[in-house]
Amino acid sequence: MASRVLLQCVRSLGRPSLRLSAANLAVRATAAPAAARRPLSFAADSRRPRWLGQSSIPSVGVLCRQYGDLPPLTLETIKDRVMYVLKLYDKINPEKLQTSSHFMKDLGLDSLDQVEIIMAMEDEFGFEIPDAEAEKLMSPGEIVQYIADKKDVYE
Amino acid sequence: MTISRLPTAALSLKQFLQRQRILGIYRNMLRTIRQVPSEGDRKYLRDWARDEFKRNKSATNPDAIRMMVSQANNHLEELQKSLALARS
Repeated sequence: MASRVLLQCVRSLGRPSLRLSAANLAVRATAAPAAARRPLSFAADSRRPRWLGQSSIPSVGVLCRQYGDLPPLTLETIKDRVMYVLKLYDKINPEKLQTSSHFMKDLGLDSLDQVEIIMAMEDEFGFEIPDAEAEKLMSPGEIVQYIADKKDVYE
Repeated sequence: MTISRLPTAALSLKQFLQRQRILGIYRNMLRTIRQVPSEGDRKYLRDWARDEFKRNKSATNPDAIRMMVSQANNHLEELQKSLALARS
């Protein structure tokens, strides 16, 4: 019975005009909770034909819970975030940065800088990259591929 | 015996392992520095570590390199101990 009242509340919220909902509330208030189901069900039956012509009810959107979670990762977003972090790094010239530019050969960085870059990626994406795999990542494209593999992102 | 400027094919096995060890120490240092509570201290420590490692990048004397490696390990342990104390 409580769920039926709740659904009626939701339906009344979804309707464009609220005049009838005030009447609904009055009807519900008068029908005491201890009263039998019959008054409410009759009222619902009488209201139902009127509601059939209404616009679609956004009940699912109102009744579902929102869980806190990060937006889903795609290859595009990973690539954008990786390039953004790299552009912020002071030793890299942003104009010369491409997805395929090698850190040591094209951008002139050394292995200590590469360690710093991988640490920055760990901070950005929130998971640890072990040493053995970190030292092999020598270009932004490889970093994107590795993160996509680890996070099960595929297109 | 520079840490990074020579291509890896030119390093002997011992030098290669030493290079990997040093990079591991640098990485552990950066990870430990991440746990420092204040942002200003973190930045100072990161710059200090970066300077130290870069300054001695082109050392060639193997004894000097070993001494610097053990010094770096001592610094790292000290930092970890102080962080553990600060946290408790």
